[in-house]
Amino acid sequence: MTEEVRLMKGNEAIAHAAIRYGCDGYFGYPITPQSEVLETLEEEMPWETTGMTVLQAESELAAINMVYGGAATGKAVMTSSSSPGISLMCEGISYIAGASLPALILNVMRGGPGLGTIQPSQADYFQCCKGGGHGDYRMIVLAPGSVQEMVDFVGLGFDLAFKYTNPVMILADGIVGQMMEKVVLPEQRPRRTEEEIRLQCPWACNGRKGLRKHNVVTSLELEPSVMEEVNNRLQARYREIEENEIRYEEIGTDDADYLIVAFGTIARISDKARELAAEQGIKVGILRPITLWPFPYEAIEKAAKGKKGILVVELNAGQMIEDVRLAVHDSLPVEHFGRLGGIIPSPDEVVRALKEKIVNK
Amino acid sequence: MKEEIIIAGFGGQGVLSMGKILAYSGLMDDKEVTWMPAYGPEQRGGTANVTVILSDEKISSPVLDQYDIVVALNQQSLDKFGPKVKKGGTLLYDTNGIHNHPKRDDIRICPVDAMGATLEIGNSKAYNMVVMGALLQTMRYKLPMENVVKGLKKSLPERHHHLIPLNEQAIRKGESLI
Repeated sequence: MTEEVRLMKGNEAIAHAAIRYGCDGYFGYPITPQSEVLETLEEEMPWETTGMTVLQAESELAAINMVYGGAATGKAVMTSSSSPGISLMCEGISYIAGASLPALILNVMRGGPGLGTIQPSQADYFQCCKGGGHGDYRMIVLAPGSVQEMVDFVGLGFDLAFKYTNPVMILADGIVGQMMEKVVLPEQRPRRTEEEIRLQCPWACNGRKGLRKHNVVTSLELEPSVMEEVNNRLQARYREIEENEIRYEEIGTDDADYLIVAFGTIARISDKARELAAEQGIKVGILRPITLWPFPYEAIEKAAKGKKGILVVELNAGQMIEDVRLAVHDSLPVEHFGRLGGIIPSPDEVVRALKEKIVNK
Repeated sequence: MKEEIIIAGFGGQGVLSMGKILAYSGLMDDKEVTWMPAYGPEQRGGTANVTVILSDEKISSPVLDQYDIVVALNQQSLDKFGPKVKKGGTLLYDTNGIHNHPKRDDIRICPVDAMGATLEIGNSKAYNMVVMGALLQTMRYKLPMENVVKGLKKSLPERHHHLIPLNEQAIRKGESLI
């Protein structure tokens, strides 16, 4: 079959990718800049083709708890929202993580704090990578840099969620949600049958049919010694994820004097800055973390060897920079450049910041 | 090769859909494309702009502050983006309602009476396609009309496909303005 190339917004691409993956259910509540996810699903009407459920819940709280319920039955379920909506969902996310359930959550970040603005931001890095909800849990966090990655990370996200029975977040900025690019969609996969779910998810509460003991899905455990065991199992799984799932991209890092670390579309703005800086004789390499958790500490440490300084470019006041500093142990200067509140820096601004904060310092 | 374009004007002038049709036309011509709107609580009468990049290679930043071509459809956009045309680039603008005309001598300036030309066709909704025609004439990428028509087909919902001949006529009218 020839692959059809299409032009799509990131948000639309997420919806199409979910249907193609064989997603069982989407539960969401509209919020800019990601409302096209729900709109596209409603337009595509997958309940008539694959049987996928699409439901606009009455609130973000309802949506995430519908995801919790769907996930407990072994279904591939997802939701999407933007920053203030994700804040509302954090309690549910913590429960999903505590109950060890697979789920996919898309956050198309907008400027905060509070209701903030509807323009692009990356200010939810701390919230999504370090916690958000309560308790010692982690989410696998994928940061797409293109519309194609929005598509690819739906499949990857669900696969990882089921492999580790853990929630996965696609942490996008408003730019990749709203921009249109070429995409190739994967082929349509059938939704899993009840038998397949029984085989792959022996923990799922989908009817025991008199064949096994009943399953219990809960995050509640009142006996501390048992709860510590639950936590130890979670931590062991997180170590396994750190071992196996770190992803990143490097552009021109070998031959560079300086390093820019940036994620999402800001890495692409930085890549353009890399081209502009090269014209001025400044050799910069880009390291783009793709998984924000687990974070590519070792890759950054390795890429930083022999460099004169690192500029961390983010649409926030300095969040990922803390992890970059941890990675390089103060072995070289690490500075931050960011715009706040929904302002997108131009590639020239990034070059100016690189010169001011690192090169000419 | 790469061509970095921004189209800016009032909301309701068809700026975003013109950008979309341009991006689709590029896609049909096998180019890499990005379409990035300055999205916001914008509506008819507000300002709207979209950055469209066509390239032979993978595109890095979808957001820029220097452009090969600026298309400005009102005074505000002309004032804001006129200075952001790269040296040797092109500034295309509709003279309708413009009182401060651009004065740079290091770029190519193409004033067109797109509104007048649209009135000659007799359908004000074809305005953005008249501008599109003028834009296609100024671009270094020469997108063949058959690919532009394919782009129109891809970006318009099927219920509007009967309007494609009108749009094609408007594009040709726009081309004649340059």
